[in-house]
Amino acid sequence: MDKLASLLHTSPATAWMVAKLVIVFAGVFSLAALWTWVERRGSAMIQDRIGPNRAALFGKIKILGLVQPLADGIKFFFKEDLVPHDANKALFWLAPFLALVPALMGFAVIPFGRSFTSGGQEYHLALLDPGNGMGLLYPLAIGGMAVYGVLVAAWSSNNKWSILGGMRASAAMVSYEIGMSLAVVTIFMTTGGYDPSEVISAQGHLPWAWNIVRQPLGFIVFFTCMFAETNRLPFDFAEGESEIVAGFNTEYGSMKFSLLALSEYCHLMTASALMATLYFGGWQVPFVKDPSVMLSVLSFLVKMLFFAWVFVWIRWTLPRFRYDQLMRLGWKAMLPMSMVNLIFHAWRMSQGH
Amino acid sequence: MGVVVKKVELSWLDRTYVWPVMKGMGITFQHFLKQLFTPTAKRFTIQYPDMKKEMPEGYRGLHELKRFEDGAIKCVACFMCQEACPARCISIEAEEFSDLNITQGFEEKRPAKFSIDMLRCIYCGMCEEACPKDAIWLRKDYEVAAYDRLSMQFGKWDLMNTYSEPDGKERISEDPTPSVPRRTIAL
Repeated sequence: MDKLASLLHTSPATAWMVAKLVIVFAGVFSLAALWTWVERRGSAMIQDRIGPNRAALFGKIKILGLVQPLADGIKFFFKEDLVPHDANKALFWLAPFLALVPALMGFAVIPFGRSFTSGGQEYHLALLDPGNGMGLLYPLAIGGMAVYGVLVAAWSSNNKWSILGGMRASAAMVSYEIGMSLAVVTIFMTTGGYDPSEVISAQGHLPWAWNIVRQPLGFIVFFTCMFAETNRLPFDFAEGESEIVAGFNTEYGSMKFSLLALSEYCHLMTASALMATLYFGGWQVPFVKDPSVMLSVLSFLVKMLFFAWVFVWIRWTLPRFRYDQLMRLGWKAMLPMSMVNLIFHAWRMSQGH
Repeated sequence: MGVVVKKVELSWLDRTYVWPVMKGMGITFQHFLKQLFTPTAKRFTIQYPDMKKEMPEGYRGLHELKRFEDGAIKCVACFMCQEACPARCISIEAEEFSDLNITQGFEEKRPAKFSIDMLRCIYCGMCEEACPKDAIWLRKDYEVAAYDRLSMQFGKWDLMNTYSEPDGKERISEDPTPSVPRRTIAL
């Protein structure tokens, strides 16, 4: 790392930061692209179909259709980029970025492997080092910003379906944020800190000490709220293909649509990383006290990809909620449940556990 | 009196919503695993250009004009199929020929031109039923498509060679015996 830094005329810290940036963003981006394929193949398998398997490199190497995202990307780049006549052009252009940036930024604070010391310097496998003062409040705050992407996309495209989708989605996201935050607050409380590394080290390497066992109710609430936050089925109110055409991205085409779709998958990745960190011990390897760096990264990836798969799995299992059912679930079930969770753990802590 | 709708009483476990969701996920995962470990040939989807659907017995597809061992056409140009055809898509022109091997010098009849307009044909199989010599029949081939209208006019040789490749027969483009110049009959 030092050699590379001197070669690039930068300090090792900067070089390491850049390397982490590239790894994290390229990783999340390529995983998001891969997950479009996983979603299509997985849904096909669940429905006894086959799914896209014909896209091939140079027309020969098929590898299960894994190059389908690449083909999709090329197609999106060469599509005509239409902007509706009466759309608010500036916001219409801005919206995909407003959707993508928060989805990617949420990942910055999550440690994807254990910290290690090399050459007298400590390296942390997270974009923001532990002790930055923001901790896990940061992804929650950034997640709140994701509403703007949807809402701006919906409003600027000057389309009734879009506005309907955007309004419902933003209402759903805002109301589920409360339940989610309360569930996370409980974790902060029992951990005694909100830094992700603290949350992870407090959970330890034994699976029965992880937060999923300690706070199953909180996990259910958080898990459900993550579906509402990422706007995926069964809470797919931003798009709602069967009722409002395509919701907030009705008017979007070509690469702008691709960015909106990618942002959904980046959001999915961030949400599953959050779930792995908060409830499943982050990079901790079950029953291994001091895992090597590679093993811890692998463990984190496995957990994260499992939850990403659960997102896909649930999407193709459950039917969509009606809007009033969604609101009732959010305010009358999720919020009280997370409050009960919070009060129960507060009571337990007061009893000296 | 209206219909009394029986309401299903849900158990407390079903009302939590979590347990039914897990049951549903179990079902979808079963389907996922089943489809994942089914070999491609046994899946419901037939991946068309690579795999082809086996048509049931009695399926009426593209026509074939049958031939004898020596390549002579079985059709005797009796015009029965042309008459029977409800879509009027068959048109035949007859000619006379002499086949010394079979007919010992007698003059016989055969189609000089035999064309079927595949755009008009309704694949009803009436020509097959009408044929007294079993010279025309409809087989299981269903890939009848072309880029222009002209190539949907199937001539005599097209109809005779339709199945020559899958059957391992030779493609022919000429009758084994020459035709006799037509004699004009003075009335």
